[in-house]
Amino acid sequence: MNVENNQSTKTADPFEAFRNMRDSYLEAMSKTMIDAVNSEEYAQATGTLLTNYLTVTAPFREALDKTMVMALEQLSLPSRQQVTSLAERFANVEMRLDDMEAKLDRIVESSLTARLDDMDAKLARIVELSSATRLDEMEAKLDRILDLSAATRLRVPPVAPLPKQLPKNDTKSVHQASGKK
Amino acid sequence: MTQASGVSNELLALSEKLKTFNRLMTTKASIAQTPKEVVWTLNKAKLYRYIPVVPAAERHPIPLLLVFALMNRPTILDLRPGHSFVEFMVERGYDVYLLDWGIPGPEDKDLKFDDYTLDYMPRAIRKMKAISGAKEFSLLGWCIGAILTTIYASLRPDDGIRNLLLLTAPLDFSKKASLTFAKWTDEKYFDVDKVLATFGNMPGEMIDYGAKALKPVENYVGNYCKLWDSLDDPNVVEAWHSMNTWVTDIFPMAGGAYRQLIVDLYRNNRLIEGQLKIRGELVDLKRLRANLLNVIAEGDHITPPCQSEAILPKVGSTDQEIYRVRGGHIGIMAGSGAHKHTWPHIDSWLAARSH
Repeated sequence: MNVENNQSTKTADPFEAFRNMRDSYLEAMSKTMIDAVNSEEYAQATGTLLTNYLTVTAPFREALDKTMVMALEQLSLPSRQQVTSLAERFANVEMRLDDMEAKLDRIVESSLTARLDDMDAKLARIVELSSATRLDEMEAKLDRILDLSAATRLRVPPVAPLPKQLPKNDTKSVHQASGKK
Repeated sequence: MTQASGVSNELLALSEKLKTFNRLMTTKASIAQTPKEVVWTLNKAKLYRYIPVVPAAERHPIPLLLVFALMNRPTILDLRPGHSFVEFMVERGYDVYLLDWGIPGPEDKDLKFDDYTLDYMPRAIRKMKAISGAKEFSLLGWCIGAILTTIYASLRPDDGIRNLLLLTAPLDFSKKASLTFAKWTDEKYFDVDKVLATFGNMPGEMIDYGAKALKPVENYVGNYCKLWDSLDDPNVVEAWHSMNTWVTDIFPMAGGAYRQLIVDLYRNNRLIEGQLKIRGELVDLKRLRANLLNVIAEGDHITPPCQSEAILPKVGSTDQEIYRVRGGHIGIMAGSGAHKHTWPHIDSWLAARSH
């Protein structure tokens, strides 16, 4: 039932039969033509056709080229050959420029590397010197501290013994003893 | 009456579809919107640094450099907000850099893999290291970017490369029967010197044609039919718009590098055979010792899996892993399933190796 419905709702394509016929024809033609172009005969025919075309048209092209060169010369304009030659020279110049760019890049790179190496070496030296100097300074300072410390110890007077503790009621005698009269 | 209104509705829907289709074909989507700054330039090349969103203390200390192919914009790595690999990685705490090769002009027709790997990449990496302050880095290469990163990692293994991630890397060209490009560019049929003598650089239109002609029906017809069928779905429409904006932004590939791709790799398979010389220096894959994650797209028709598989036994890396993903050359990183499979796997692999 569903199939019947689908069939009835499907729009009839008046060209479908034509398309099928066309496709079948093209398929058959395609195989025939592929075989044809793949044959020695086709290669020979096209080769002969091309060679003949080039041979027949050669005098006309030559005459046209000569006329064109003369006309351009009369008009003080460069010929195709001259423009071509100029373009070749441009290409060569461009290639040499590219080579120069490559060389410059190498120089810059090696220069940068050399400078970096140089800077690296300098930094290492600075660090080395700085460390050595600081160590020397520290050592000198330590020596100085030790010297000062020794001198200070020499200058310090011997510590006096503390007075004996007196009885609490004997203040007078203490005053007397200290010279207060 | 009902029939009339039905037809009217159909016409209205058709009109809306046409408007949307017209907009997609004639306008460019806003892609590559993750905030970034240019930190280095050389000729047309630019090195971008994506502005980190994770505090420095919580970020991975090893920066990640993304290197894309030479013939398409790297914006595919940052397609649109919510569907951007770059945005995903930045949010997961990576310091992400992107090397954009730029559009080669006529003066760059002689640029070769030698110049890209020994002049441009070391300089960009030097700058990245200087900015990030890291001595090591991770390198991600996609498509031809994977060829360049493999060559670089083999030539300069002591430059600080810790992790190498290769996505759909065309490194082995030995199985020519599986490589349509190898047939087209065979020296019997394709005169690469004549093409480059005529154009200088390999025209973007020819490269684009080559990529699309591998699957002509899909790329020139099927792609648009699929879009037409899905024009009612805003998600599909916006995804298609941004992808189309990227796909149609085509530009030439430097002539010297294109010649090397065809002669040294497609025809002579010199990289995997250990015979490729870059500025006279032999590219010895055994010298590649970085941790290696090799992401392979099983449905890749531009770089079939057989082209990427052969690298592992050839390199000197002891930590190596193959990660196979269902999808095509671009789809594994920019398709609708990329944020569920490929990106989280890359993140987990890299996070474990970025400390």
